[in-house]
Amino acid sequence: MRRGWLHAALPAALAMAIAACGGTPGEEAPDTSDQGADTPAQEVKTDGFEDLGEVTLKVVSSEGSGGPRDAIKELTRQFEAKYPNVTVEVQFRDFASWIKQARLAASGDDPPDVFAGNQGYQLDGELVKAGLIAPLDAYDEAYGWSDSFTPETLQQFMWSEDGATFGEGNLYGVAQTGQSVGVFANKAKLDAAGVDPESLETFDDFQAALQSLRDSLPAEEPVIALGNKDQYGAIHLWGGIQGAYTPAQDVRDWIFHADGATFDTEGNLKSLQVLKEWADKGYLGKGDSFNARNDSEAAAAFGKGEGALMIGGNWNAATARDGLGEDAVFFNMPPGESGDAVAIGSASVPMHISAKAENPDLAAAYIDFITGPDAGQALVDTAQVPAATDTTASPSDPLGEDVKAGWDGLVESGGLTLYPDWSSPTMLQTMGQTFQEMLEGRIPPEEVVSRTQEDWEEYHAELTGG
Amino acid sequence: MRADGGAGVERRVRTRAPGEPRRVAYLYLAPALVFYLLFAFGPLVYTTWLSFFDWNGLTVGTWAGLDNYREVLEDEDIRASFVHSLVLIVFYSVIPVFLGLVLASLIAHGRVRGTTFFRAVLFLPQTIATVVVAIAWTWIYAPSGPLNEALDAVGLDSVSRGWLGDFTWALPALGLVGTWVMFGLCIVLFLAGIQKIPLSLYEAARVDGAGRFREFLAVTLPGLRGELAVALTLTTILALRTFDLIYVATSGGPGTTTTVPSVLVYQNAFANGRVGLAAAVAVVLTALIFVVAFAITKLVDRDPTT
Repeated sequence: MRRGWLHAALPAALAMAIAACGGTPGEEAPDTSDQGADTPAQEVKTDGFEDLGEVTLKVVSSEGSGGPRDAIKELTRQFEAKYPNVTVEVQFRDFASWIKQARLAASGDDPPDVFAGNQGYQLDGELVKAGLIAPLDAYDEAYGWSDSFTPETLQQFMWSEDGATFGEGNLYGVAQTGQSVGVFANKAKLDAAGVDPESLETFDDFQAALQSLRDSLPAEEPVIALGNKDQYGAIHLWGGIQGAYTPAQDVRDWIFHADGATFDTEGNLKSLQVLKEWADKGYLGKGDSFNARNDSEAAAAFGKGEGALMIGGNWNAATARDGLGEDAVFFNMPPGESGDAVAIGSASVPMHISAKAENPDLAAAYIDFITGPDAGQALVDTAQVPAATDTTASPSDPLGEDVKAGWDGLVESGGLTLYPDWSSPTMLQTMGQTFQEMLEGRIPPEEVVSRTQEDWEEYHAELTGG
Repeated sequence: MRADGGAGVERRVRTRAPGEPRRVAYLYLAPALVFYLLFAFGPLVYTTWLSFFDWNGLTVGTWAGLDNYREVLEDEDIRASFVHSLVLIVFYSVIPVFLGLVLASLIAHGRVRGTTFFRAVLFLPQTIATVVVAIAWTWIYAPSGPLNEALDAVGLDSVSRGWLGDFTWALPALGLVGTWVMFGLCIVLFLAGIQKIPLSLYEAARVDGAGRFREFLAVTLPGLRGELAVALTLTTILALRTFDLIYVATSGGPGTTTTVPSVLVYQNAFANGRVGLAAAVAVVLTALIFVVAFAITKLVDRDPTT
């Protein structure tokens, strides 16, 4: 018996000793302390890539829906045509799973050269902190990104070298499009209910319209097509309501961890109560069925004629247009008392260059090619809004015009709130779960507020404490 | 004399009892052992090592001692995830084993036409990749999927719902998928086991006047002891470590109602950047699986004659 015990314990002890030889995890990570200081001084090349010989550029995109994917495929084809010696291997990943795989992929020995990140502390902040992505300030100068993109756009990709301060410091990426959450409507169903989208000037008008639509649609059909399996659909929907009660600047301050910022405000509580009311009134469909499908599935259902409205990201425009044709319209959520349109929205996800990329100049050329002014046509053709402001391409279809007008309106009024889940590494999960629990009636809106603020405060302490 | 000398030789040669392990056995074990150490034991040890750190997976970690384990024990969501696993054991293990026993004993000795065909059909779910199973069932359970359409068609509109998005029903709905997958395995195991039981035992039971139920308790059940242990162990372990089905079908939602430990490991390690905590959950889960498997073997697979 004693010997049997020894037999088990000895290898275990030995094994722990061996594991301990592996040392503290992460120790072999690259030292990033002086990277930022060196890189801007470096010479960068913006042309002459024909002389590189046969090279392959590995790219990962997190665009999950049809339109944006088509745009990237088209732009990649054009880039390869410009440099026949360059092969670009683009992999498309679903956004929700990519943001979980990205760190692992980026920290491997053979990471993709160019890959999508996500603004905020959950992904970009960690990538910067670990020195896995290269600062792009030299390319900013070479390609004139500061002239192409607004300061608000670039701010979303700026970090201090230690990844602790978000919104200032080095530039780590640029993005293709402006993405905002707004209201997609199926005009045929609005007409049937006697609702004229042009007449919806205030948030109260909008709520009244919701009720008319509820009365006009069959009971089993939702007024608003929602997909919340990935737990962000309901957050985006709520962003439209939040905008009616909370100034955009307050929301941004909170996301950037400004001192004294808090989620615990009357406006946030009120907007959560309204969201719950909408669910209780049956606007979101039967029971919790929206939890059984994700954002893209809901967009596809809306495109097939389910629901009169969809409150979601403008990245779904191509899906709506291809499904509903002329009946698809898009507008910003009508404003609350302030009169200013406010909505969740930002530049699309940044394209980063891996710190281990073999041809960073070529990678930067590719990023400039798919985001810069010349990329505009491919983007507007897929009903997207280019993030670069100096593009000359303009949309050729009515829905594309709607989407652009919506984005321009928000930029003009300073109404883009960014995304609340940027505010901490765990916020997407915290808000995602509490929203589902509130919609089901398990917890009151007050608890969503307190748990969200608790998560923020925990991370705030970590950021300010060291 | 001769006999004595012969016995002496015998004694010298037989320094160990027949069947006792010899050192050379390790040589035969070596190839498998190396792979086992490298790909199973090594990662397990390293995971345990990581569980003592506060580490985001990228930058340098800091020693955390037992903090992660304390959190596993104290965090309500983590504790709830283990409870969800226990619920899944009922669906993955208890129900299929029970149904399997009943059905196997009913059809084993009867002359049912097409037994082979039914056996193949019942076993089919075992051969399908779990991701495919998950996608198929997601479609069946969908708000406008066949299950709800069938319910609506017979006037049960009040019952139909988005099953996998429902706080009350998501976990049982996933559990039933597990039952569907595991049932075939159980019945095939038990049918094979029953074939091994000598018919004479059944005849003896008949002669003693036993009914079908009595016969089942006295002959079939003891005869299936080994198969029962295998079925229970396999299905319980699969219930405890299930990940792909839940990841594809619900990702642990709605809320945290279908979050099981393996999903927490994934979320914490990859999404939330808490590798140490994820490792601690994984270690606790592994320990639990060991304990449960060990207990089942001790309780069920014991020869009643010893």
